[in-house]
Amino acid sequence: MTPPDAETADASRHDARFHATSYLRFLRLAFRLATEGSWLFYAWMFVLTCIALVGTHAWAVQVRDGMAVTAMTDHVSWGLYIANFTFIVGLAAGGVMMVIPAYIYHDRDMHDTVIIGELLAIASIVMCLLFVVVDLGRPDRFWHIMPFVGKFNWPISMLTWDVIVLNGYLLLNLHICGYLLYKRFLGETPDKRWYVPFVFLSIAWAISIHTVTAFLYCGLGGRPFWNTALLAPRFLTSAFVAGPAFIVVVLQIIRRMTKMKIGEGSIRTLVGIMRITILINLVMLVSEIFTSFYTGGSHGVSAKYLFFGHHGHGALVPWMWTSVTFSIIAAILLMRPKVHEHLWTLDIACVLGFAGIWIEKGMGLIIPGFIPSTLHEWVEYLPSATEWKITAGIWAGGLLIYTLLLKVAIPVFSGEANKLSN
Amino acid sequence: MTRGIGKIAFGGIVAFIGLYFVTALAWTWYSSEKRPDPDKPGQRIAEGPVPAPPHPVVIRQPDGKVMVDSGRRDARGEPVMVACATCHDTRPPEPSLHSSSELDEFHQGLTYAHGELSCLSCHNANDYDTLKLANGQAVDFSASMSLCAQCHGPQFRDYRNGSHGGMQGHWDLTRGGRTRNTCIDCHDPHHPAFPQVMPVFPPMPERGETLPHAHHE
Amino acid sequence: MNDTSQGCGSNCSCKGGGGARDDSLFSRRNLLKGGAMTLGAAAFAKALSPLAHWTREETSVEEFLQKHYRELTKIDLELVLKRLEKDAKENYGTDVTITDHRPQKGVKFGYALNLSICIGCRRCAEACHHENNHDRATSNSYIRVLEMTKGSMDMEKGNVHYDHPVPHPDRFYMPVQCQQCDNPPCVDVCPVEATWKEEDGIVVVDYNWCIGCRYCEAACPYHARRFNWKKPVIPKDEINPNQSYLSNRIRPQGVMEKCTFCLHRTRDGRMPACLEACPTGARVFGNLLDPHSEIRKVIDTKRVFVLKEELGTRPSFFYFFDE
Repeated sequence: MTPPDAETADASRHDARFHATSYLRFLRLAFRLATEGSWLFYAWMFVLTCIALVGTHAWAVQVRDGMAVTAMTDHVSWGLYIANFTFIVGLAAGGVMMVIPAYIYHDRDMHDTVIIGELLAIASIVMCLLFVVVDLGRPDRFWHIMPFVGKFNWPISMLTWDVIVLNGYLLLNLHICGYLLYKRFLGETPDKRWYVPFVFLSIAWAISIHTVTAFLYCGLGGRPFWNTALLAPRFLTSAFVAGPAFIVVVLQIIRRMTKMKIGEGSIRTLVGIMRITILINLVMLVSEIFTSFYTGGSHGVSAKYLFFGHHGHGALVPWMWTSVTFSIIAAILLMRPKVHEHLWTLDIACVLGFAGIWIEKGMGLIIPGFIPSTLHEWVEYLPSATEWKITAGIWAGGLLIYTLLLKVAIPVFSGEANKLSN
Repeated sequence: MTRGIGKIAFGGIVAFIGLYFVTALAWTWYSSEKRPDPDKPGQRIAEGPVPAPPHPVVIRQPDGKVMVDSGRRDARGEPVMVACATCHDTRPPEPSLHSSSELDEFHQGLTYAHGELSCLSCHNANDYDTLKLANGQAVDFSASMSLCAQCHGPQFRDYRNGSHGGMQGHWDLTRGGRTRNTCIDCHDPHHPAFPQVMPVFPPMPERGETLPHAHHE
Repeated sequence: MNDTSQGCGSNCSCKGGGGARDDSLFSRRNLLKGGAMTLGAAAFAKALSPLAHWTREETSVEEFLQKHYRELTKIDLELVLKRLEKDAKENYGTDVTITDHRPQKGVKFGYALNLSICIGCRRCAEACHHENNHDRATSNSYIRVLEMTKGSMDMEKGNVHYDHPVPHPDRFYMPVQCQQCDNPPCVDVCPVEATWKEEDGIVVVDYNWCIGCRYCEAACPYHARRFNWKKPVIPKDEINPNQSYLSNRIRPQGVMEKCTFCLHRTRDGRMPACLEACPTGARVFGNLLDPHSEIRKVIDTKRVFVLKEELGTRPSFFYFFDE
């Protein structure tokens, strides 16, 4: 590494040819970093690849034989895929809870680790896009939804907004992460003008991806269960539980597995955020439940089905009570004043909070929107084996991408990579 | 001052991607506002057919002369049918009769449930091959609709408005004709309430659907 | 987890003196990595092999590149129709005629249903099934008939699986199909404009443009839309050969479909199949723009209502009771 004052001098002398060669070197290093590791790393990648393979094959069969291989019907026409999509959009947005303290409040610890949240956004958005693709009956016609070449029903269709915000968020994070990593690789100080505006844009954008995703559902007048103005705020709050919960666990794993310095401040801040959001989320859940049950009538019938079953139909009841229980336990654990000093307790709280919200936003929110159907028919839904396989495959693929991204980013940031490349 | 061309190129790429999205949005907005192109099928409206004399609306007629089953069979096993006059020409009418069960022979299996009417409310005692309106005027069996319409005014009105009684054919009479049912195609004059039938074509239970019969009964 | 000393990041292997060897393209390590990646790629190719079969059998370059219906020129469209007829022959072994029926000037279709007369025999649903070339195994139909309890219009008290002689004295019957809304939520939500409302009020789907996201199915408040969860199966002698591009041609797998008021019949001036099948004459169909049409007489003389009016969908399908 060259001394900092020399860096800026170097930077001004860089021309296109310099970048052409050094960017190739950067990619080569990234490739090398991403493909070398201990036996544990290879085992982890092997397992993820196998799961992704199973999912890929299941998807290919689903495309060939039709979506009749899923458990979805004309009554419950969205299932596990869209449930996961909704949840993971939240995961992507949740990363912003690291970005805000790092860039707006100049939290030093957070600043060192914020890249972990930004990379999570990249991996999550890729998973979101995959979940949308596997939910399509005709993935071969994907080009129809591309602006210019296809027919893009913007601005009427909320789904086109979602295409824009998700891809936009992906590009933003790719740019921010790519730029910072490349600069670190060159050993130069990143030019604030090239990333700070994008970081601020990404903060607003993170809110938008989850708001737009909520608008997908809450704009549908024919589905009373979704047709509530509280949906978008609920989505955001639960995202700010699930996102930080995931990152807290990842930070601890990174701390154990690599030499990266994870300051106590990062975890402390994230726990502080979760303490508030998990409670707000529960409050919102309670106020939804109150409105549904106190008013009664057909507007509350989905909620009744979800929590207590209806006329002998109760497939979602165990799911929902698991979710509520997990969320409450997680909230209680997080309330403990010294929870970040008892890491096991914190980990349990994070895992429970994460799982609780995965159920609440997935099986607990998407599915009951369809039950009863718009003609009040009672058709229930539990995912088929194919759906589980494809879902597991996409999660494995997402984790694989996230692992590879971290594998490159961590040594580059710690400066170890530079020793290698020189 | 010189900033690296690489940075400019990089910024260019980012700007390009941004520009792509903005232009794409502008384009979709513009194309949605475009006026119809008559050459394309989606915008083409078929010219209405040249006004033609309307095709006829045919009301199905009861066919042939009215006969009654004698209950006997001929050599080929076919039922022996008897014209009304065969018996009624020689027998005096019984105006108070309300039910076939009061009869000794003929019309034995006839179920009768039509308000307070008696046989001779509609059947013409003077000529059993015709029917009789309330004012005593004889009408042919094929014109039974005018007989029914005497009491069932609202139904007759709806029938004339096209909202009662089934039909086949064209909604657009400039393009083709239409066949309409007459009253007795659907209503047996002796027990006119529409009979109960078993519903056909039950919807297939979907995956995830249990059919709790208790739900409705 | 106790192998942190061994190093799990990328750093360990490179520190171990492998650095020099790694720079060589054909080092043992690089060859191993290359092998593993080739193996991985091969495995993914194998996993995707069902797609190859599907691409070969069920898609074609022409189909893939086909433009949106509303952007096809007359010549394009003729070629498309020819291709679809050929595909039907290959896939279902029967000769069909696929026509492009266009809306007629001065016509806007409306439908009304007399709930006092409907006996719930489901003949309309059956006629729809045959007319519109629905998949036989699933008994699909665009019409669902609800058995309702007298004294309530709440669909919550409805039941579609009744199986007893009809009409039951304590019940009434309400068939529901696409309401051809003037403000259709299904059209608004479609991300690719694969569904739209035509000049005569019919909401149609371009089965060759739909991507199968099923957002319209979630948006429809009347359960009017159906998805082709698999390729429809119909014996060849049961196929209705008179077909239309936007209407009853046999749909491909993985796309949405819906009631079009039998536009292949009604745009020729004929009655929809469900109306002709109705044994009681509960159904009234016609041109809303013609003041002397039967449908207008119903709207003018009866007190009609629409389903879920509060949603603002403005249906073209009306219900009424006799006095």
